[in-house]
Amino acid sequence: MTRRFILSASVAASAMADPAFAARVITAAQDAGLDLLLIGQTANLTLDPQVMAAWAAPRAGGLGIVPLVSTRIAHPFHTARALSAVDYLSGGMLGWCPVAQGGPAEQVADMVRATRALWDGWDEDCLIIDKASGHYLDSSKVRASHYVGTHYRTRGPVNAMRPKQGHPLLVADADSPFAVQGVDVAIVREGQACPAATKGLRRDTLSADPAKLGEQFASGLIDGLHCDLAQPLPELAQMAQRFGALAGERLASGTLRERLGCPLPAVLAPKTAQEENA
Amino acid sequence: MSRPIHLWAFLQGIGHYPSGWRHPNADPAGVFTMDYYAKVGALVEKGRFDAIVFGDQLQSRGAGGRTPERLAMPTLDPMALLSAIASVTNHVGLVNTLSTTYWTPEGLAERFSTMDRMSGGRAGWNIVTTAHPDTAPNFGDDNLPEKSLRYKMAADTVAQAQEVWRGLNAKLGGSPQLRPVFVQAGQSADGRDFAAQVAEAIFCSAPTMEEGIAFRKDMRERVAKAGRNPDAVRIMPGLSFILAENEAAAIAKDEALLDLADEALAMEYLSESLCCDLTAYDPAGPIPVDAILEATILPRADVARALEKPVAGRVPLGRFAAGYLRTPRGHNVFRGSPSQLADMMLRWIEAGACDGFTLQPAYMPGELEIFVEEVVPILQAAGALRKYYPGTTLRETMGLPLVPADMVA
Repeated sequence: MTRRFILSASVAASAMADPAFAARVITAAQDAGLDLLLIGQTANLTLDPQVMAAWAAPRAGGLGIVPLVSTRIAHPFHTARALSAVDYLSGGMLGWCPVAQGGPAEQVADMVRATRALWDGWDEDCLIIDKASGHYLDSSKVRASHYVGTHYRTRGPVNAMRPKQGHPLLVADADSPFAVQGVDVAIVREGQACPAATKGLRRDTLSADPAKLGEQFASGLIDGLHCDLAQPLPELAQMAQRFGALAGERLASGTLRERLGCPLPAVLAPKTAQEENA
Repeated sequence: MSRPIHLWAFLQGIGHYPSGWRHPNADPAGVFTMDYYAKVGALVEKGRFDAIVFGDQLQSRGAGGRTPERLAMPTLDPMALLSAIASVTNHVGLVNTLSTTYWTPEGLAERFSTMDRMSGGRAGWNIVTTAHPDTAPNFGDDNLPEKSLRYKMAADTVAQAQEVWRGLNAKLGGSPQLRPVFVQAGQSADGRDFAAQVAEAIFCSAPTMEEGIAFRKDMRERVAKAGRNPDAVRIMPGLSFILAENEAAAIAKDEALLDLADEALAMEYLSESLCCDLTAYDPAGPIPVDAILEATILPRADVARALEKPVAGRVPLGRFAAGYLRTPRGHNVFRGSPSQLADMMLRWIEAGACDGFTLQPAYMPGELEIFVEEVVPILQAAGALRKYYPGTTLRETMGLPLVPADMVA
């Protein structure tokens, strides 16, 4: 698969709280060839972007939907459940971007680890659903996680399925950094410390130089561009105009991980029964 | 002209019968897809229902530390399901069950304010306290807060959430309904008093019309005593139903559905209900009452009371488990033809036994389709059920005051 230049943008949660406007933003983002739409901006984060992501799920098409998940109001048990459902309802087009909103960074990392532990309580092949024999699931493939971290303690099993993508795409914003393994996408300004991630997006404005971005992409320095939008409708059209040529063709099907070439990081791969017993 | 009838669809996974997922017209894999919920949303709006209601738990259903393998288990988060359904429907209300024990006032208030905005004013909150001891360890607690404290927490959480909503409405502009419609399901005296204070709609069990009349009368008195208008509260008892061309055929259909719950499934269901793994016991043997009381995490006195009669009658374990499937939480169970069901519903409304019904399909979506195709037109012809929605918000649909008193600035 050829490497894709990733186009990403964020919209304030308060703007997305109007469904008529949100519908136009999603269509405009799709028309602009966007890969990721972050719902919420750390500086302006009232309301619950997870609800907006659920609302957006049936409209996602090929657009990755990435709610900001703030430790101010989120708890891993609730988050694991909501994101599992939205990942299914969107056909596997979900990402999530955990942020602190002034709280400790370690709490964000702990929320990520706890949420992942709950998802890992369900094996991806646990469902049988055989009407004839009456077997619904293989209960040996469901287990309590017994997670104990720095801020959260949660036992599980969570009453939700393992998400469609295994785990939704994890997006880390370098403005609200946290330290966990297996970050899929990092959003980083030029010169800013970059968390280890499979893909790095340059945070820049609409006036960024496309030629320079193209060179940095070609040299492997960046994997795409992220813009924080204040006027999403005109600005999405401008993004398409200025940077659309960099992005090129996108895959017409598959989950968000498949489309972006971001398989579940190896450190998060489910353990085989053999490894677990070792 | 009949009093207007209100309909809610209480949708639980793939249906309310533990064997429902095995029915040929059930779509158990569908519950993981948007197509399924889009279809259900369209069906419920076709039937001119007020609302879809999802129940909720904050623990995995288990049988003494084991996840039962014959019961349809993983449930998707109702907030996510209802918000996604909001996106593909225009009128139906969306009632989300959410616990006051393990949510913060800020977290739940922002969640519902967002739902109300994204749905154009169709959000409802089924206010519950968490009673299952397995929930506590999912939130870092060893034990649940004790019962009276949980009710006090519920009242405090509602009051704090109201404060958050007033603040959000002032800061961002009001959400279409200012706050979600308050729904409550209290049956105990504590629960009824709490409902009388806050609830705009009440979900209850009323196995007979007489019990419905008594409950509604009692609630209306309590609501009036709390200084509120009883006509601004809807009483919506649960209704489980099996439809066929006549009563004998419906009973046969019900039997066949329960037969899908083979002995192993019945044992799993009982294990899950008692929180004690019984699958290793001989179904032909006696009910292992001591082992159950030893192992269960539920309050022992409650479990002992449930087992008293069958133990005294020396009922074999397997037969007790099979019979247990037939008592779905004390709700009204109807078996008969569509016109018989419509007659029964109209009779209850006329008698003042309720303001409508919370329908609990045995399996999904098949049984709900039959209701919408065959019972809804009869109710509409009788002038009891609306042919068109009166507006777009849940308050308009339910005929409730558009501005709740606690949201007046």
